[in-house]
Amino acid sequence: MKLAFFDDYRLGVVVDDRIVDVSAAVADIPHLGPHHLINGLIERFDEYRPALERAAASSDGLPLADVRLRPPTPKPGKLVCMAVNYMEDGTRDAPAPINAFLKSPKAVISDGDTVALSKEPAAIFEHEAELGMVIGRRASRVSAGDWEGYVFGYLNFIDVSSRGLGAPPMDSFFPTKSPHTSAPLGPFLVTADEVGDPQNLAVKLSVSGKLRQDFNTNDMAHKIPRVIEFASSITTLDPGDVVATGTNHRGLGPLHDGDTIEMEIEGLGALHLNVRDDLKREWPRETRLEREMREAAQ
Amino acid sequence: MKLVMFDDFKPGVLNGNSVVDISEAVGGIAHLSPQELMSGIIAGFDSVRGDIEALVAASDGAPRDTVRFRPPLPKPTQIVAMAANYMESGAREAPALINAFLKSPNSIIGDGDTIVLPDAPAAIFHHEAELGLVIGREAANVDAANAYEHIFGYVNFIDGSARGLGNNSFFQGKSWDTFGPVGPCIVTADEIANPQDLRVRLWVNGRLRQDFSTADMAYDIPRCIEWASGITTLEPGDILATGTNHQGLGAMQDGDTIELHIDGLDKLTVSVRDDLKREWSREIDRATADRAAGRASAGGFGESPQS
Repeated sequence: MKLAFFDDYRLGVVVDDRIVDVSAAVADIPHLGPHHLINGLIERFDEYRPALERAAASSDGLPLADVRLRPPTPKPGKLVCMAVNYMEDGTRDAPAPINAFLKSPKAVISDGDTVALSKEPAAIFEHEAELGMVIGRRASRVSAGDWEGYVFGYLNFIDVSSRGLGAPPMDSFFPTKSPHTSAPLGPFLVTADEVGDPQNLAVKLSVSGKLRQDFNTNDMAHKIPRVIEFASSITTLDPGDVVATGTNHRGLGPLHDGDTIEMEIEGLGALHLNVRDDLKREWPRETRLEREMREAAQ
Repeated sequence: MKLVMFDDFKPGVLNGNSVVDISEAVGGIAHLSPQELMSGIIAGFDSVRGDIEALVAASDGAPRDTVRFRPPLPKPTQIVAMAANYMESGAREAPALINAFLKSPNSIIGDGDTIVLPDAPAAIFHHEAELGLVIGREAANVDAANAYEHIFGYVNFIDGSARGLGNNSFFQGKSWDTFGPVGPCIVTADEIANPQDLRVRLWVNGRLRQDFSTADMAYDIPRCIEWASGITTLEPGDILATGTNHQGLGAMQDGDTIELHIDGLDKLTVSVRDDLKREWSREIDRATADRAAGRASAGGFGESPQS
């Protein structure tokens, strides 16, 4: 099932290119805001699933093109992001030691929103396309072998990165990863049963119509079971928390004022964003791989 | 006013040696969790303060030693913790570059609770005594000149730190469950004359380890708010921990009792448990103190001096 928030945070189920308002079916889940509603639904999904399915089947809904999509997890309790977690198309000899950072849940935006680049003097701003996992039940010190019971679903996630800020070489993930609007995700939260093998999904990200990132989650260095084990060994994960699995860096490139971003992981729908930079900074419009090849040819 | 949560997360006021239940005065605040209740009290304080004060004046409350204190901020949306933010008793030539990290909201524990050391092979586990700012009004891109308008109050905060894991990654150093003791009370800003001139003391098993003044902060409180709010939107009930002076850090180990007292903020007491019963020196960690102060260019923070 593909869950989404739309317009003024109505809860919807997406069927093909239409969205059906199912808010009435979940109205009795205690909530003061949409983040409570989605987290409460995730916790009680087995109980509510039949009602959601009935509601989704009972109406044609609206064309997706006619609604404003909102972040499906508007304010996760935590965003845990894996760092350096790809084999870079096999170019790495060995996985980097496992590592992660926390990204502010206040940075979440979604489809149709704008990534506003910070005015801080970052060396470059880059997009990192990632598979995001949404936690389904409280996870503390989970064994790798049990990971599957803790993942409710998946979503597109872009880890927008403002390079060079902070105090390197000290861990400076807060100033580089948590700036306002740096956590685009969605537009759909797709339940795990629809996704098949999350370790074999095509991830694509284009900037202004040009394909930049194009990789498969099978290139992940520390695989999903280990990621869940690692993250939950340090901090208790709660329903609705998002764990982002890292990116393949070879297709990274700069973000500029006026860019449009489109990201799509197989089966998770397309996420569209705009980019704004009030300072109109310019960087070479090439990916890391393109730069490497250009420099090698010189 | 000193706000607390106690027993089954009832909201209260610590009044002298008594705790007064203020549930009745804040019953109109919609919430689904204790954190949201306290955040609601903070965000709407002007409208509930009168009722709270009337309740406190009319009630004897319960003696403090008969209640169980809970963390007054059980699960903030964000804990932003400043890194390397002291001049180390004036020893540093210049401030380090400004930096911070996010600490997991799930790390929070309260007075009387226990820090549980994980079985991860940290080189050492340090206590870092810190003044915590409690955000009172949403803060995004705030100028230093207006920063204090966004501060509701202050808390004792211990930034539990596991050294030497993941190349000193902050997530692996700081976000462990139970590594964020806070409390016992939030003291409203009007009770603290000058937060930039508070004595901070931390004892382990009765022996003084950390003893410094918040006057030694490298980036002052307004600058911390300005900088952090330029990155992320701080919301009522969030904690901004202002960093520690590293001159008195030492190991936390099984059976330890840790007490933190900041002027005007009451005392926070927590225990330490380590199922692996690891042992470290019970003295102040000089290598870390020297490194933080710039007297040594390597060592400390769990590194071997040679590395």
